[in-house]
Amino acid sequence: MALKPTYAARRRDVLPPDAAERLSGWLRNYRPLSGTPDELIDSSGRPRDQWLHFLGHFAEYTEGEFRNRFNMATRHIRDTGVTYRVYGEENERSWPLGPLSLILDQNDWAQIAQGVEQRANLIEAMLQDFYGEGRLIAEGALPAAALTGSPDFLRAMKGVKPVGGRYLQIYAADIGRGPDGRWWVLDDRTQAPSGAGYALENRLVLSRAFPNLYNTMNVQRLAPFFDQLRKGLAATAERADPRICLLTPGPFSETYFEQAHLARYLGLMLVEGEDLVVRDGKVYVRTIAGLKRADVILRRVDADFVDPLELNSASRLGTPGMVDAIRSGGVAVVNMPGSGLIESKALLGFLPSLCRRLMGEELKMPNVATWWCGQPRERDLVASRLGELAIAPAFNRLGEDPLFSRARLTADLSSGDQDALMARMNDRPCDFVGQEVVRLSTTPVLRDGQLVAAPFVLRVYAAATPDGMKIMPGGFCRTSEQADARAISMGEGARTADVWVLADRPVERVTLLASKEDVKVRRIMGLLPSRAADNLFWLGRYLERAEATLRLVRSLCASLMDSESALHGAGETLAELQELLIDWGALEKEALGGRAVDAARSALYDEAAVGSVISLLRAARRTAAGMRERLSSDFWTLLLNLESRVSDGVKDLKSEAEALQQCEGTLHLLAALAGLAQENMNRGAGWRFLDMGRRVERGVNTSRFARTFARSDATIDDLDLLLDLADSQITYRARYLVGLALPPVRDMVVLDPYNTRSVAFQILAMKDHLAQLPSLVEDGMLEEPRRIILTLATQVETAEAGRLDPDTILGLERALKRLSVAVADRYFLQGAKAAPTVKLAGLA
Amino acid sequence: MIYLVRHKTTYSYEAPVEFARCVLRLTPQSSATQTVLHHAVTLRPAPHQSVERCGAFGEHALTVIIDKPHRVLVVEARSRVEVHAATMSALMASSPWEQVRELSCSHNELGPTGPASYLYPTSRAPLASEITDYARKSFSPGVPIIHAASDLMRRIKADFTFDPKATDITTPPQVAFKARRGVCQDFAHIMISGLRGLGLPAAYVSGYLRTIPPAGQARLEGADATHAWVSVWCGEGIGWVGFDPTNAILVENDHIILAVGRDYADVPPIEGVLLSNGQQDLKVEVDVIPEEDVGVARMDSRTG
Repeated sequence: MALKPTYAARRRDVLPPDAAERLSGWLRNYRPLSGTPDELIDSSGRPRDQWLHFLGHFAEYTEGEFRNRFNMATRHIRDTGVTYRVYGEENERSWPLGPLSLILDQNDWAQIAQGVEQRANLIEAMLQDFYGEGRLIAEGALPAAALTGSPDFLRAMKGVKPVGGRYLQIYAADIGRGPDGRWWVLDDRTQAPSGAGYALENRLVLSRAFPNLYNTMNVQRLAPFFDQLRKGLAATAERADPRICLLTPGPFSETYFEQAHLARYLGLMLVEGEDLVVRDGKVYVRTIAGLKRADVILRRVDADFVDPLELNSASRLGTPGMVDAIRSGGVAVVNMPGSGLIESKALLGFLPSLCRRLMGEELKMPNVATWWCGQPRERDLVASRLGELAIAPAFNRLGEDPLFSRARLTADLSSGDQDALMARMNDRPCDFVGQEVVRLSTTPVLRDGQLVAAPFVLRVYAAATPDGMKIMPGGFCRTSEQADARAISMGEGARTADVWVLADRPVERVTLLASKEDVKVRRIMGLLPSRAADNLFWLGRYLERAEATLRLVRSLCASLMDSESALHGAGETLAELQELLIDWGALEKEALGGRAVDAARSALYDEAAVGSVISLLRAARRTAAGMRERLSSDFWTLLLNLESRVSDGVKDLKSEAEALQQCEGTLHLLAALAGLAQENMNRGAGWRFLDMGRRVERGVNTSRFARTFARSDATIDDLDLLLDLADSQITYRARYLVGLALPPVRDMVVLDPYNTRSVAFQILAMKDHLAQLPSLVEDGMLEEPRRIILTLATQVETAEAGRLDPDTILGLERALKRLSVAVADRYFLQGAKAAPTVKLAGLA
Repeated sequence: MIYLVRHKTTYSYEAPVEFARCVLRLTPQSSATQTVLHHAVTLRPAPHQSVERCGAFGEHALTVIIDKPHRVLVVEARSRVEVHAATMSALMASSPWEQVRELSCSHNELGPTGPASYLYPTSRAPLASEITDYARKSFSPGVPIIHAASDLMRRIKADFTFDPKATDITTPPQVAFKARRGVCQDFAHIMISGLRGLGLPAAYVSGYLRTIPPAGQARLEGADATHAWVSVWCGEGIGWVGFDPTNAILVENDHIILAVGRDYADVPPIEGVLLSNGQQDLKVEVDVIPEEDVGVARMDSRTG
């Protein structure tokens, strides 16, 4: 009887010859490290079936096609922002993604999932005791000093019951496969585990780049986990339909983009510390409609920083009174501040005995053998094995000497450093642990077209839900660039890989459609936080100012090229344009009277000039970066394109024609962006603020143009230029066949409510926006911005072109500026009532 | 000895303050060494909300919220405290310091009275090898802890100059150590840093010192403001012993304890967060007068 061919053999049979050749080549040259297990090659030296299937599929692509697919998907992700970086500016440390996933079968996964679940439950029980009754310490299960060294042992949380009852809502474990093939826990993440957003993003890339493979391999989906995570968060709140916020340290945080992505994916409100206020033991978000209750806060800010009043007073990331609110049960903060305590390595050695004591069972997934030197027996053991153990800090304290704050082998240290470390361990043994050196297993990665074995660490996530702990079937995998398999040498220069957990049978196509009862129909996204309103408004202003500056530069170059006006001696008009650019900070004072092409170059590219086009676009992008979760990826991509179009443009402009071309191209992109905002943003308050920013800026700029170029002694050139700047040439020519005259030009640029570029149009649009925005107090009284806009609207609606003079126009311009301030005062954080907080201190 | 304590703090603001949230640690605690007989804190303007609770280090903490616009905030605390501390001596029998280090590492008291919380460096009392090495000279092998800590305290008094101009409230101990100058807070942090560098548990104590010395004795430094000193855990039987490096004396009946923490940042008498745009100006007045001297002292009360 013929044997049933193995899966691998079958697979190789069906591969086209060149793919089979490529696969064999990969396998032939693949060299796992000796002494550690490998994911691809099993202990008998044969490749595993699921890997052959997986690699066989890759082998079917030619080198070029393979790279193309992967790069396309990666670029899409980069463009939409998770691993976004711009050369020379606030670099986001990204985790470059490798094309090969880590593949785990059901058996492996079951072991991991059970181990992680047990550990999450154990840690929850430990936290309950440490911050509650304190029996473990009192009864001697571990000494008090094993806890007190952690900056996350928060005494202020002692005896405080978490709303929702749990300390640990989200838990992650960094695990690796040991020499015996079992999985080991290297580190626990209980503070604010990061990386889940990256995992999500990695999955998106891989499933887009290789959809067939993904679908045929029965890869378990991630989406249901995130759905449960969200339900778990909602369940911690007191109210039925809670407002859940993700508290971020802000755009300068290393993982900000991941946070923004997660917030958008989970539908959470992304807030910073200053967006929140505490009143009467509850936490509120500052929104344009006043203070609105925040029920649940998923924090990515370290616990010590959440309240500058009661915790770390140096914190600029927190909200004064937050601890008070937690204490009085007015908000669920997850993970509960203080949970980070578990991340101390000092605790690792106690986990096996604590597990027996608290859970009545053995640890299902062991952690790296660790001895805390605060105990005499353990200290002696570490001393006797100093040469072979890694010495690591027992607690994660900030601001320590690097020599004492990283895990290392004494053999790797200079003799001077060795002495210093020994002396310190002698004085303060409680600051150190000794750890068995773990050798990580390897997984294949592609490097220069070759299959290479890379050591890896896998982060696995668990979320608490009303139905118990749920484990994400996948994870965040980091592969090392070095062939050194010791866990302590992981770190810089790592890549990531998607993690595929295979199901035994085809996975259900998960739809995230909630049942009818779960969903309340709504039409707007909820209330707009004040900071987001502020950012949107300024984004609108920056973009509009960039556009106006481009138009000025364009006119500057175009008027020179027009020989007729050159003959008329357009010198004065030219000087006026340059003066405007100088006033706007796009040009140095000294540039006045210089060549147009020089002025254009500077106004476009001078990074030192605050008003140059490049500076304005950077400011726009930075402002947008602070609210990424509110902008569509198309909008963001276009914004990045816009910036790179200018920053990558030909800097060495030789002629006005070149400058003109650059202006035109950039204006087209700006128009696309404006169109996107107009057609693709829903008409919530966010859109209104973006548009108001644009309208105020355009109103002010157009007034300025009008009073400069439509003075009573304006020349034909001036009026012609004004129509250019106000983009109204065609309309004017169509309407007035007689040629240029002052009153009709003034009317068209300032008063005409049908001209989308006129001052009046901006004012009327603002009037409409402000009428739609919420008021703080329903007392029938007008708020200041509306008072100003109604006056203005009446003024432009009733004015006559014949009587319009530069002074009246200046009046409009000033009123618009007042309006901008009034909008800021009323809706933004920087309003007078919310002045920056000052710390009251003093050695009294 | 019964003391009357008056502690008045006046904040003047350049611009009106719309909203203030403050934590006050102005209430002395009763303990083995002192009994609080009477206590009251008053604020002007009166707070909209005030909540009393036990702070993270067992201190009395009063959280107040003031939501009325104000330009001046006056906080006045008055207490009547009886101090009945035991007589201390540097020569008292105590365990060798290495043994105390071992004991505090294995101790099973997690709360604020156990040694474990005071073993580790903190932001205001970080480890610094130069300070540890300075302290080490007082800690020869096998020396009883009280003896060694007293020696360190006396050396600080001898080697450092009291100079309120040399440092401010934010000066790190390394800087004050290098300058060999500072005030009670600096000396306390330096001593704590040195002790912790050797693995010993040391706490920061905020409190008061009697204003007028008994007849014939010199006036002590730090008497006209709140004072700070160090408390060292000296083993199971003895427990915590107070050392005042500013005056080189062991703490007995001249000191009144307000609060104990790991460093100044844990127990500032007043801290708060305000909504305001301007600068602030601060004035502190402290009187600590033995009850029997009240008549005399009123005429001679000094302010700081």
